[in-house]
Amino acid sequence: MKHHFLAAALSLLATGVLAHSPLKATTPADGAVAGAVPTEVTMTFMRDIRLTRVQATHADHDPVDLDLGDQTSFATGFALPLEGMGPGTYVIEWRGLGDDGHPLTGRFGFTVE
Amino acid sequence: MPDLWDVATVATQFALYLGVLAAAGVMLCAALFRLDRYRGLAVGFALTGLVAAGLSFALKGAALTGDASGMTDPEMLGLLWDTSPGVALGYRIAGLGLIVLGACLGQVGIWVAVVGAGLAVWSFNHVGHIAARDDLALDAVLIFHLAAVAFWIGILAPLRRLVTTRMDLPRAADVSHLFGRIASLVVPALIVAGGTLSYYLVGSVDALVGTGYGQSLLAKVGLVALLLGLAAANKLRFAPALMRGDERAAAHLATSITLEWAVVCAILLATAVLTTSLSLPT
Repeated sequence: MKHHFLAAALSLLATGVLAHSPLKATTPADGAVAGAVPTEVTMTFMRDIRLTRVQATHADHDPVDLDLGDQTSFATGFALPLEGMGPGTYVIEWRGLGDDGHPLTGRFGFTVE
Repeated sequence: MPDLWDVATVATQFALYLGVLAAAGVMLCAALFRLDRYRGLAVGFALTGLVAAGLSFALKGAALTGDASGMTDPEMLGLLWDTSPGVALGYRIAGLGLIVLGACLGQVGIWVAVVGAGLAVWSFNHVGHIAARDDLALDAVLIFHLAAVAFWIGILAPLRRLVTTRMDLPRAADVSHLFGRIASLVVPALIVAGGTLSYYLVGSVDALVGTGYGQSLLAKVGLVALLLGLAAANKLRFAPALMRGDERAAAHLATSITLEWAVVCAILLATAVLTTSLSLPT
Protein backbone atom coordinates (compact mmCIF):
# COMPACT_ATOMS: atom_id res chain seq x y z
CA MET A 1 0.00 0.00 0.00
CA LYS A 2 2.84 2.33 0.89
CA HIS A 3 4.41 1.88 -2.54
CA HIS A 4 1.11 2.52 -4.30
CA PHE A 5 0.68 5.72 -2.32
CA LEU A 6 4.23 6.81 -3.09
CA ALA A 7 3.58 6.23 -6.79
CA ALA A 8 0.37 8.26 -6.57
CA ALA A 9 2.16 11.11 -4.80
CA LEU A 10 4.93 11.14 -7.41
CA SER A 11 2.44 11.10 -10.28
CA LEU A 12 0.68 14.04 -8.67
CA LEU A 13 4.00 15.87 -8.60
CA ALA A 14 4.56 15.00 -12.26
CA THR A 15 1.18 16.22 -13.43
CA GLY A 16 0.26 19.19 -11.48
CA VAL A 17 2.69 20.68 -9.16
CA LEU A 18 3.15 24.26 -10.44
CA ALA A 19 4.13 25.01 -6.89
CA HIS A 20 2.18 27.96 -5.64
CA SER A 21 1.73 30.55 -8.37
CA PRO A 22 -0.11 33.62 -7.08
CA LEU A 23 0.65 35.75 -10.16
CA LYS A 24 -2.37 37.92 -10.93
CA ALA A 25 -1.32 39.88 -14.02
CA THR A 26 1.67 40.65 -16.20
CA THR A 27 2.62 43.03 -18.98
CA PRO A 28 2.93 41.85 -21.61
CA ALA A 29 0.13 39.44 -20.76
CA ASP A 30 0.79 35.71 -20.86
CA GLY A 31 0.39 34.60 -24.49
CA ALA A 32 0.29 38.15 -25.88
CA VAL A 33 1.70 39.08 -29.28
CA ALA A 34 3.61 42.38 -29.35
CA GLY A 35 4.82 44.46 -32.30
CA ALA A 36 8.08 45.40 -30.60
CA VAL A 37 10.19 44.17 -27.70
CA PRO A 38 8.89 45.84 -24.50
CA THR A 39 11.45 47.80 -22.51
CA GLU A 40 10.22 46.31 -19.25
CA VAL A 41 8.04 43.53 -17.93
CA THR A 42 5.71 44.02 -14.98
CA MET A 43 4.30 41.43 -12.62
CA THR A 44 1.46 41.87 -10.16
CA PHE A 45 0.93 39.25 -7.46
CA MET A 46 -2.10 38.50 -5.32
CA ARG A 47 -0.02 38.54 -2.14
CA ASP A 48 3.28 40.02 -1.04
CA ILE A 49 6.34 38.28 -2.45
CA ARG A 50 10.06 38.95 -2.38
CA LEU A 51 11.42 38.20 -5.85
CA THR A 52 14.79 36.43 -5.82
CA ARG A 53 15.45 35.60 -9.49
CA VAL A 54 13.81 36.42 -12.81
CA GLN A 55 15.14 34.99 -16.07
CA ALA A 56 14.20 35.76 -19.66
CA THR A 57 14.63 33.00 -22.20
CA HIS A 58 14.59 33.65 -25.94
CA ALA A 59 14.89 30.97 -28.58
CA ASP A 60 18.15 32.29 -30.04
CA HIS A 61 19.88 33.27 -26.78
CA ASP A 62 20.98 31.80 -23.48
CA PRO A 63 18.72 32.65 -20.50
CA VAL A 64 19.38 36.15 -19.15
CA ASP A 65 18.86 37.22 -15.52
CA LEU A 66 16.76 40.38 -15.29
CA ASP A 67 18.08 43.10 -12.99
CA LEU A 68 15.96 43.31 -9.83
CA GLY A 69 17.64 46.62 -8.94
CA ASP A 70 16.39 47.87 -5.61
CA GLN A 71 13.20 45.78 -5.81
CA THR A 72 14.41 43.47 -3.06
CA SER A 73 11.65 43.82 -0.50
CA PHE A 74 8.23 42.20 -0.13
CA ALA A 75 5.70 43.77 -2.49
CA THR A 76 2.89 42.86 -4.87
CA GLY A 77 4.07 44.81 -7.92
CA PHE A 78 7.39 44.71 -9.79
CA ALA A 79 8.67 46.35 -12.99
CA LEU A 80 11.91 44.95 -14.43
CA PRO A 81 13.88 46.23 -17.42
CA LEU A 82 14.04 43.79 -20.34
CA GLU A 83 16.92 43.60 -22.76
CA GLY A 84 15.62 43.15 -26.29
CA MET A 85 16.72 39.95 -28.04
CA GLY A 86 14.81 40.41 -31.29
CA PRO A 87 11.61 38.88 -32.62
CA GLY A 88 10.45 35.53 -31.34
CA THR A 89 9.04 33.98 -28.19
CA TYR A 90 10.14 35.21 -24.77
CA VAL A 91 9.60 33.16 -21.63
CA ILE A 92 9.92 34.91 -18.27
CA GLU A 93 10.55 32.57 -15.35
CA TRP A 94 10.33 34.07 -11.87
CA ARG A 95 11.17 32.84 -8.38
CA GLY A 96 10.57 34.36 -4.97
CA LEU A 97 9.65 33.90 -1.32
CA GLY A 98 5.99 34.25 -0.37
CA ASP A 99 4.85 36.02 2.78
CA ASP A 100 3.89 32.63 4.23
CA GLY A 101 7.49 31.38 3.97
CA HIS A 102 6.89 29.24 0.87
CA PRO A 103 9.24 29.51 -2.11
CA LEU A 104 7.16 30.41 -5.15
CA THR A 105 7.81 29.98 -8.84
CA GLY A 106 6.04 30.46 -12.12
CA ARG A 107 6.46 31.58 -15.72
CA PHE A 108 4.71 33.46 -18.46
CA GLY A 109 5.49 34.10 -22.11
CA PHE A 110 4.81 36.40 -25.02
CA THR A 111 5.76 36.68 -28.68
CA VAL A 112 7.39 39.61 -30.47
CA GLU A 113 6.65 39.80 -34.21
CA MET B 1 8.76 12.75 -14.63
CA PRO B 2 8.60 14.92 -11.53
CA ASP B 3 11.40 17.40 -11.04
CA LEU B 4 14.18 16.05 -8.82
CA TRP B 5 14.02 19.16 -6.61
CA ASP B 6 10.28 18.67 -6.07
CA VAL B 7 10.84 15.06 -5.03
CA ALA B 8 13.67 16.07 -2.68
CA THR B 9 11.53 18.83 -1.17
CA VAL B 10 8.58 16.50 -0.53
CA ALA B 11 10.84 13.75 0.89
CA THR B 12 12.56 16.22 3.22
CA GLN B 13 9.25 17.68 4.38
CA PHE B 14 8.00 14.14 5.07
CA ALA B 15 11.12 13.41 7.15
CA LEU B 16 10.64 16.72 8.97
CA TYR B 17 7.04 15.90 9.91
CA LEU B 18 7.98 12.38 10.95
CA GLY B 19 11.02 13.46 12.99
CA VAL B 20 9.43 16.41 14.79
CA LEU B 21 6.02 14.88 15.48
CA ALA B 22 7.33 11.46 16.48
CA ALA B 23 10.06 12.89 18.73
CA ALA B 24 7.59 15.26 20.39
CA GLY B 25 4.98 12.54 20.66
CA VAL B 26 7.34 9.97 22.20
CA MET B 27 8.31 12.52 24.88
CA LEU B 28 4.67 13.43 25.54
CA CYS B 29 3.73 9.76 25.91
CA ALA B 30 6.82 9.03 28.02
CA ALA B 31 5.75 11.76 30.45
CA LEU B 32 2.05 10.78 30.47
CA PHE B 33 2.46 7.02 30.69
CA ARG B 34 5.77 6.89 32.61
CA LEU B 35 7.40 4.82 29.87
CA ASP B 36 10.81 3.26 30.54
CA ARG B 37 12.51 2.66 27.20
CA TYR B 38 11.86 5.72 25.09
CA ARG B 39 15.19 7.59 24.98
CA GLY B 40 16.64 5.89 21.91
CA LEU B 41 13.41 6.44 20.00
CA ALA B 42 13.16 10.09 21.02
CA VAL B 43 16.79 10.82 20.13
CA GLY B 44 16.54 8.97 16.82
CA PHE B 45 13.41 10.84 15.74
CA ALA B 46 14.80 14.17 17.00
CA LEU B 47 18.02 13.73 15.01
CA THR B 48 15.94 12.83 11.94
CA GLY B 49 13.97 16.03 12.47
CA LEU B 50 17.12 18.13 12.91
CA VAL B 51 18.72 16.84 9.71
CA ALA B 52 15.46 17.29 7.80
CA ALA B 53 14.99 20.82 9.20
CA GLY B 54 18.46 21.85 8.01
CA LEU B 55 18.02 20.21 4.61
CA SER B 56 14.55 21.69 4.18
CA PHE B 57 15.97 25.16 4.89
CA ALA B 58 18.77 24.66 2.34
CA LEU B 59 16.32 23.33 -0.27
CA LYS B 60 14.24 26.48 0.16
CA GLY B 61 17.40 28.39 -0.76
CA ALA B 62 17.75 26.25 -3.88
CA ALA B 63 14.11 26.92 -4.76
CA LEU B 64 14.76 30.67 -4.57
CA THR B 65 17.56 30.55 -7.14
CA GLY B 66 16.41 27.57 -9.19
CA ASP B 67 19.65 25.64 -8.78
CA ALA B 68 21.94 24.11 -6.14
CA SER B 69 23.82 27.39 -5.64
CA GLY B 70 20.92 28.64 -3.50
CA MET B 71 21.65 26.01 -0.85
CA THR B 72 24.80 27.89 0.13
CA ASP B 73 24.04 31.38 -1.21
CA PRO B 74 24.47 33.80 1.75
CA GLU B 75 21.88 36.23 0.35
CA MET B 76 19.20 33.54 -0.05
CA LEU B 77 19.95 31.86 3.27
CA GLY B 78 20.04 35.27 4.96
CA LEU B 79 16.65 36.15 3.46
CA LEU B 80 15.22 32.88 4.74
CA TRP B 81 16.82 33.30 8.17
CA ASP B 82 15.37 36.81 8.55
CA THR B 83 11.84 35.69 7.67
CA SER B 84 9.42 33.04 8.89
CA PRO B 85 11.42 29.98 7.67
CA GLY B 86 14.32 31.17 9.83
CA VAL B 87 12.07 31.59 12.88
CA ALA B 88 10.70 28.08 12.34
CA LEU B 89 14.21 26.64 11.95
CA GLY B 90 15.27 28.33 15.19
CA TYR B 91 12.37 26.77 17.11
CA ARG B 92 13.14 23.37 15.55
CA ILE B 93 16.82 23.46 16.46
CA ALA B 94 16.00 24.61 20.01
CA GLY B 95 13.11 22.19 20.48
CA LEU B 96 14.72 19.08 19.03
CA GLY B 97 18.00 19.96 20.75
CA LEU B 98 16.19 20.08 24.11
CA ILE B 99 14.60 16.69 23.35
CA VAL B 100 18.06 15.17 22.75
CA LEU B 101 19.45 16.90 25.86
CA GLY B 102 16.47 15.88 28.00
CA ALA B 103 16.68 12.27 26.85
CA CYS B 104 20.37 12.19 27.78
CA LEU B 105 19.72 13.63 31.26
CA GLY B 106 17.64 10.64 32.32
CA GLN B 107 14.44 10.88 34.35
CA VAL B 108 15.21 14.44 35.47
CA GLY B 109 15.41 15.55 31.87
CA ILE B 110 11.99 14.36 30.82
CA TRP B 111 10.37 17.75 31.44
CA VAL B 112 13.24 19.50 29.63
CA ALA B 113 12.43 17.28 26.67
CA VAL B 114 8.70 17.97 26.96
CA VAL B 115 9.42 21.71 26.77
CA GLY B 116 11.54 20.95 23.70
CA ALA B 117 8.64 18.98 22.22
CA GLY B 118 6.40 22.03 22.67
CA LEU B 119 8.90 24.32 20.93
CA ALA B 120 9.39 21.90 18.04
CA VAL B 121 5.64 21.59 17.44
CA TRP B 122 5.22 25.36 17.85
CA SER B 123 7.66 25.85 14.94
CA PHE B 124 4.91 24.86 12.50
CA ASN B 125 2.93 27.90 13.56
CA HIS B 126 5.42 30.18 11.78
CA VAL B 127 5.31 28.88 8.21
CA GLY B 128 2.53 27.75 5.94
CA HIS B 129 -0.94 28.68 4.83
CA ILE B 130 -2.50 28.85 8.30
CA ALA B 131 0.31 30.95 9.78
CA ALA B 132 -0.04 33.45 6.92
CA ARG B 133 -3.66 34.11 7.89
CA ASP B 134 -2.56 35.73 11.15
CA ASP B 135 -5.61 34.42 13.03
CA LEU B 136 -5.00 33.47 16.68
CA ALA B 137 -7.95 31.08 16.85
CA LEU B 138 -6.76 29.20 13.74
CA ASP B 139 -3.21 29.14 15.15
CA ALA B 140 -4.56 27.51 18.33
CA VAL B 141 -6.50 24.94 16.29
CA LEU B 142 -3.37 24.15 14.24
CA ILE B 143 -1.21 23.66 17.35
CA PHE B 144 -3.83 21.44 18.98
CA HIS B 145 -4.11 19.45 15.74
CA LEU B 146 -0.33 18.92 15.59
CA ALA B 147 0.00 18.12 19.31
CA ALA B 148 -2.79 15.54 19.04
CA VAL B 149 -1.17 13.98 15.94
CA ALA B 150 2.17 13.89 17.79
CA PHE B 151 0.49 12.20 20.77
CA TRP B 152 -0.99 9.55 18.46
CA ILE B 153 2.23 8.92 16.54
CA GLY B 154 4.27 9.01 19.74
CA ILE B 155 2.60 6.00 21.30
CA LEU B 156 3.07 3.68 18.31
CA ALA B 157 6.72 2.65 18.67
CA PRO B 158 6.81 2.41 22.50
CA LEU B 159 3.54 0.44 22.60
CA ARG B 160 4.68 -1.92 19.87
CA ARG B 161 7.88 -2.50 21.81
CA LEU B 162 5.84 -3.35 24.93
CA VAL B 163 3.45 -5.76 23.18
CA THR B 164 6.28 -7.64 21.51
CA THR B 165 8.07 -8.23 24.82
CA ARG B 166 6.36 -11.08 26.64
CA MET B 167 7.34 -9.86 30.12
CA ASP B 168 5.87 -6.40 29.42
CA LEU B 169 2.38 -7.55 28.42
CA PRO B 170 0.60 -6.40 31.64
CA ARG B 171 2.29 -3.03 31.25
CA ALA B 172 1.30 -2.97 27.56
CA ALA B 173 -2.31 -3.65 28.55
CA ASP B 174 -2.29 -0.75 31.02
CA VAL B 175 -0.71 1.67 28.56
CA SER B 176 -2.99 0.73 25.66
CA HIS B 177 -6.05 0.98 27.91
CA LEU B 178 -5.03 4.42 29.24
CA PHE B 179 -4.08 5.64 25.76
CA GLY B 180 -7.46 4.49 24.46
CA ARG B 181 -9.27 6.43 27.19
CA ILE B 182 -7.38 9.64 26.44
CA ALA B 183 -7.69 9.09 22.69
CA SER B 184 -11.47 8.75 22.97
CA LEU B 185 -11.48 12.43 23.97
CA VAL B 186 -8.58 13.66 21.83
CA VAL B 187 -9.44 11.96 18.53
CA PRO B 188 -12.93 13.50 18.09
CA ALA B 189 -11.41 16.90 18.84
CA LEU B 190 -8.63 16.11 16.36
CA ILE B 191 -11.21 15.38 13.66
CA VAL B 192 -13.04 18.64 14.40
CA ALA B 193 -9.73 20.54 14.29
CA GLY B 194 -8.75 18.93 10.98
CA GLY B 195 -12.17 19.69 9.52
CA THR B 196 -11.94 23.33 10.66
CA LEU B 197 -8.49 23.81 9.13
CA SER B 198 -9.59 22.14 5.89
CA TYR B 199 -12.64 24.39 5.64
CA TYR B 200 -10.53 27.52 6.00
CA LEU B 201 -7.93 26.29 3.53
CA VAL B 202 -10.23 24.97 0.81
CA GLY B 203 -13.33 27.10 1.30
CA SER B 204 -15.91 25.27 -0.82
CA VAL B 205 -17.08 21.85 -1.95
CA ASP B 206 -16.32 22.81 -5.56
CA ALA B 207 -12.70 23.54 -4.63
CA LEU B 208 -12.55 20.32 -2.63
CA VAL B 209 -13.52 18.11 -5.57
CA GLY B 210 -12.32 20.27 -8.44
CA THR B 211 -8.73 21.18 -7.56
CA GLY B 212 -5.57 19.16 -7.07
CA TYR B 213 -5.27 20.54 -3.54
CA GLY B 214 -8.83 19.52 -2.65
CA GLN B 215 -8.46 16.06 -4.18
CA SER B 216 -5.21 15.46 -2.31
CA LEU B 217 -6.91 16.58 0.87
CA LEU B 218 -9.72 14.08 0.19
CA ALA B 219 -7.11 11.33 -0.26
CA LYS B 220 -5.63 12.32 3.08
CA VAL B 221 -9.06 12.19 4.72
CA GLY B 222 -9.54 8.69 3.30
CA LEU B 223 -6.26 7.60 4.88
CA VAL B 224 -7.28 9.15 8.19
CA ALA B 225 -10.53 7.14 8.04
CA LEU B 226 -8.46 3.99 7.53
CA LEU B 227 -6.32 4.93 10.54
CA LEU B 228 -9.44 5.49 12.64
CA GLY B 229 -10.62 2.00 11.70
CA LEU B 230 -7.36 0.46 12.90
CA ALA B 231 -7.46 2.54 16.09
CA ALA B 232 -11.05 1.44 16.75
CA ALA B 233 -10.04 -2.21 16.38
CA ASN B 234 -7.21 -1.66 18.85
CA LYS B 235 -9.43 0.03 21.40
CA LEU B 236 -12.52 -2.15 21.10
CA ARG B 237 -10.97 -5.61 20.48
CA PHE B 238 -7.24 -5.99 21.07
CA ALA B 239 -6.73 -3.73 24.12
CA PRO B 240 -9.63 -5.29 26.13
CA ALA B 241 -8.38 -8.79 25.19
CA LEU B 242 -4.90 -7.83 26.32
CA MET B 243 -6.37 -6.60 29.62
CA ARG B 244 -7.89 -10.08 30.06
CA GLY B 245 -4.43 -11.60 29.57
CA ASP B 246 -5.02 -12.95 26.05
CA GLU B 247 -1.50 -13.27 24.61
CA ARG B 248 -2.79 -13.69 21.03
CA ALA B 249 -4.19 -10.17 21.31
CA ALA B 250 -0.60 -8.91 21.72
CA ALA B 251 0.34 -10.30 18.31
CA HIS B 252 -2.78 -8.80 16.72
CA LEU B 253 -2.05 -5.45 18.36
CA ALA B 254 1.57 -5.51 17.13
CA THR B 255 0.36 -6.18 13.56
CA SER B 256 -2.25 -3.45 13.84
CA ILE B 257 0.38 -0.95 15.06
CA THR B 258 2.63 -1.85 12.10
CA LEU B 259 -0.30 -1.13 9.77
CA GLU B 260 -0.95 2.12 11.64
CA TRP B 261 2.67 3.12 10.99
CA ALA B 262 2.23 2.50 7.27
CA VAL B 263 -0.95 4.61 7.16
CA VAL B 264 0.61 7.36 9.29
CA CYS B 265 3.55 7.52 6.86
CA ALA B 266 1.13 7.77 3.92
CA ILE B 267 -0.75 10.60 5.69
CA LEU B 268 2.48 12.48 6.40
CA LEU B 269 3.53 12.04 2.76
CA ALA B 270 0.18 13.40 1.58
CA THR B 271 0.60 16.35 3.94
CA ALA B 272 4.11 16.98 2.63
CA VAL B 273 2.77 17.12 -0.95
CA LEU B 274 -0.04 19.46 0.14
CA THR B 275 2.25 21.87 1.98
CA THR B 276 5.14 22.01 -0.49
CA SER B 277 3.83 21.40 -3.98
CA LEU B 278 0.19 22.33 -4.43
CA SER B 279 -1.43 25.73 -4.61
CA LEU B 280 -4.37 26.58 -2.39
CA PRO B 281 -7.64 26.93 -4.31
CA THR B 282 -8.25 30.59 -5.12
